[in-house]
Amino acid sequence: MPLTTDPLWYKDAIIYQVHVRTFHDSNGDGIGDFQGLEQKLDHLQELGVSAIWLMPFFPSPLRDDGYDIADYYSVHSSYGTLEDFRKLLESAHERGIRVIIEMVLNHTSDQHPWFQEARSSQNNSRRDWYVWSDTDTRYKETRIIFLDTETSNWAWDSTSKSFYWHRFFSHQPDLNYDNPAVREQMWNVMKFWLDMGVDAFRLDAVPYLVEREGTSCENLPETHSILKDLRRKLDEQFTGRMLLAEANQWPADLRPYFGDGDEFHMAFHFPLMPRMFMGLKLEDRKPITEILQQTPEIPPTCQWSLFLRNHDELTLEMVTDMERDYMYDMYAASKTMRLNLGIRRRLAPLLSNDRRRIELMNGMLMSLPGTPIVYYGDEIGMGDNISLGDRNGVRTPMQWSGGWNAGFSTAEPERLYAPLIHDPVYGYPAVNVVSQRESEHSLLRWMQRIIAVRRSSGVFGRGSIEFLYPANHRILAYLRRLGKETVLVVNNLSSSAQAVELDLRRYKGNILIEMFGNNIFPRVGDLPYLLTLGPYQFYWFRLRRV
Amino acid sequence: MEDESFLTDDFLRQLINVGEVDILVGLPTHNNAKTIGPIVNTIRSGILRGFPRERAVIINADGGSRDGTPGLVTGISIDDMRPASSLYALRTLHSISTNYGNGPKSGVALRTILAAAELLRAKACIVMSPESANVQPEWISSLLWPIYRDGFDLVSPTYRRHKFDGLLMTNLLYPMIRALYGVRIREAYMPEFGFSNRLGSQFLSQNGWSDGIGGTGAELRFTLAAITGGYRVCQSFLGEKKHIERHASDLVPTLRQTVGALFSALESDFPVWSKVSGSQPLPTTGSDQELLLDPMRVNRKRLREMFSTGVAELESVFQVILSPSTLAELQRIARLGEDDFQYSAELWVRTVYEFAASYQKSVISRDHIIQALAPLFRGRVCTFLIENRTGSANDVEHNIEGLCLEFERLKPYLLQLWKSRE
Repeated sequence: MPLTTDPLWYKDAIIYQVHVRTFHDSNGDGIGDFQGLEQKLDHLQELGVSAIWLMPFFPSPLRDDGYDIADYYSVHSSYGTLEDFRKLLESAHERGIRVIIEMVLNHTSDQHPWFQEARSSQNNSRRDWYVWSDTDTRYKETRIIFLDTETSNWAWDSTSKSFYWHRFFSHQPDLNYDNPAVREQMWNVMKFWLDMGVDAFRLDAVPYLVEREGTSCENLPETHSILKDLRRKLDEQFTGRMLLAEANQWPADLRPYFGDGDEFHMAFHFPLMPRMFMGLKLEDRKPITEILQQTPEIPPTCQWSLFLRNHDELTLEMVTDMERDYMYDMYAASKTMRLNLGIRRRLAPLLSNDRRRIELMNGMLMSLPGTPIVYYGDEIGMGDNISLGDRNGVRTPMQWSGGWNAGFSTAEPERLYAPLIHDPVYGYPAVNVVSQRESEHSLLRWMQRIIAVRRSSGVFGRGSIEFLYPANHRILAYLRRLGKETVLVVNNLSSSAQAVELDLRRYKGNILIEMFGNNIFPRVGDLPYLLTLGPYQFYWFRLRRV
Repeated sequence: MEDESFLTDDFLRQLINVGEVDILVGLPTHNNAKTIGPIVNTIRSGILRGFPRERAVIINADGGSRDGTPGLVTGISIDDMRPASSLYALRTLHSISTNYGNGPKSGVALRTILAAAELLRAKACIVMSPESANVQPEWISSLLWPIYRDGFDLVSPTYRRHKFDGLLMTNLLYPMIRALYGVRIREAYMPEFGFSNRLGSQFLSQNGWSDGIGGTGAELRFTLAAITGGYRVCQSFLGEKKHIERHASDLVPTLRQTVGALFSALESDFPVWSKVSGSQPLPTTGSDQELLLDPMRVNRKRLREMFSTGVAELESVFQVILSPSTLAELQRIARLGEDDFQYSAELWVRTVYEFAASYQKSVISRDHIIQALAPLFRGRVCTFLIENRTGSANDVEHNIEGLCLEFERLKPYLLQLWKSRE
């Protein structure tokens, strides 16, 4: 299946997020690798994904799961060689799957040669590649992101006797984007991978590139200017490539990252995700509709990226204190489940392994405006291991089968990069790809089905959205429209059966065709359209005039 | 439920849309547009502050207002169509309204609220007065928490009142209910109160909504049902209750709603109250009563005149209701001058008990009996005002306690009258 030539391919994409290390180990060293991932591309093709997003695979001391890059032009030896990556890229493209890779622009590892040079002396030519200070009092208005581990955004470098700036861990010094040489170098890094055939970058931590006194050092105009310059170069030299912004911000602050269609193609909609969980627990659509009402229009070539879970904690930065307390109490009763301002759990445990809720959340993920991202393992309902530190509990080996090491690796179990999930509910004997592939009604089969239905219509990726506001607030209903096609989505957020009356009079005469079974529902008339939905049930209807 | 059809289809549709709730606030109204706005805003604020996570609904049972009251109540809903501008709400707050008829009927309003509470499976409910000018957001929590958290079934309010406010309560309802039912409940006829769905459903299932309960005094019957049914009752101090000026002509309707309801309940509750002796305090959050001592202008002379006139004009009625000795004593004090006038506690208790017994005997129309009590109550109030004119809060409380003890002491007299009836 060749790649489409549509430059807006990302609007219709189903993205699958995976860490090379976690997916499949081809050489028995206990660590997933490029060849292993390549061997499992069939699984992704069957699932229906059209793009994979690979987490950082660069050489790194791995003190932040690869987000501490020590060499931008190579791959970590644990995952294979650059040639292995090239082969993976080719194999994915042959299957019609694009490849998105991480690009950490904001900072490097403190082990990166650039930083080693910079810290070696105050006169080093790379000294100005990072942000240095004689005091730790500059940029005081800037918040600390990793509150659980860091007490300052400045760290003391005993070698060069000065402080360096870091927005994340202290072993991740921020690059100095006021330095033109840094900007040029980072474009060269991106070009290196683009030349190889990489389809897109997920640009990490983009709000923090530039620092200015008296500001929050986030979302500064200078940062946008740098990002626009990268986009301009991308458009000038490549076609059909894409930039995805990681900017954990409120919608109004996110909007500038799209520019006039000249900055990012896509950005994560961070505030929506926790509100989907909140709406489900509250059994009330209000949090979801409110945040989407506050979401500004974006240029027609741009797209939101939606997700339920990812490799990080379920971030609660973009909620109010009241909402955060509620989310903690409802989804992370044990404090060991909490990390920074978030919840370090996977989708299935968050939803008490309730298949109906898992389906409903995925149904919303696939039908709300944006491109959905599925986190590896969530397609089979994998669990987590909160006894592992940091966010490692949601980064355990993929569970392929009930056999040796879950089919992930032939290594001795103690050599695995992380222990397998063993518990009776989520352990690999109970939750794995092989068994779910054999079961017609498994979550995996259901995920394949919903992705296929989503891909059957362009309306989900490109259509407009109009919320209906039925008096029953437990029902989240919206119309997706693209050209002559209209799809009605009705979600019951409640744990109990609900009746709802929808005002569809303007569609009088249309029949409703349920998109999963292609069954016909009664014709729309003058009266409110009455539907009953079971607990957590949802419908996708195609409206058709017959 | 005796008969669910009294709920309109439109109201049922609204209830379906609301669905199950944790908190229900009932608001009976009739032409309250002048006062209802601040009250519903305070209720909303109280819910959002005290119960931000709970599913809540405000149910307005309206008696056919023509001043736009229901619209003012429903207008404070918080949903995704109408987010609150100044208040942040985690979830939807419904405010719905139904019209139960033309004219205020507190019993029908209460029944509507109870039915809604049952259908919505509300865990904790309150009813708020549409006239409470100084309602505070904290009142919502004070009335709801004992139900929601502590498992009580009825929360009766206590207030900081002027010593001459609520005179019917202090001179008749409180002492008589205390003596007969053995429970020291200060505000048995409650402007605001909280209740559990358990109690609400039980009361709703009672027969008699189409006549007795559904008429006036349902709130007091509700209190008595909680007491006689063995439900957990407590009191919660709400704070200052601003005095609402009443016209003299309001007394008889008030007596119907309160004393009439009490007298009526005595018959069915006889097996309970006849076995009770003494009285017990209720669990109370905060103070069980606080009195304000500000000067208040009261026309005692007018009260005494109305008493004397009533005693003279209604002599033939009193001859049927009262014992000869009680009537003679009333006639004696009716002739006394202003300085000597005193309607003693003992005489007042005998009067009330004889009225209660006559009410049961239906010696004349029960409504006429209630009406005939009005001038006598005014006489008793006159004495209460004189006795407590310069009294401190403690003095007033002491006098109220004395009256209560008199009601308890003379309870055998009521039982004797009751038996003579049989």
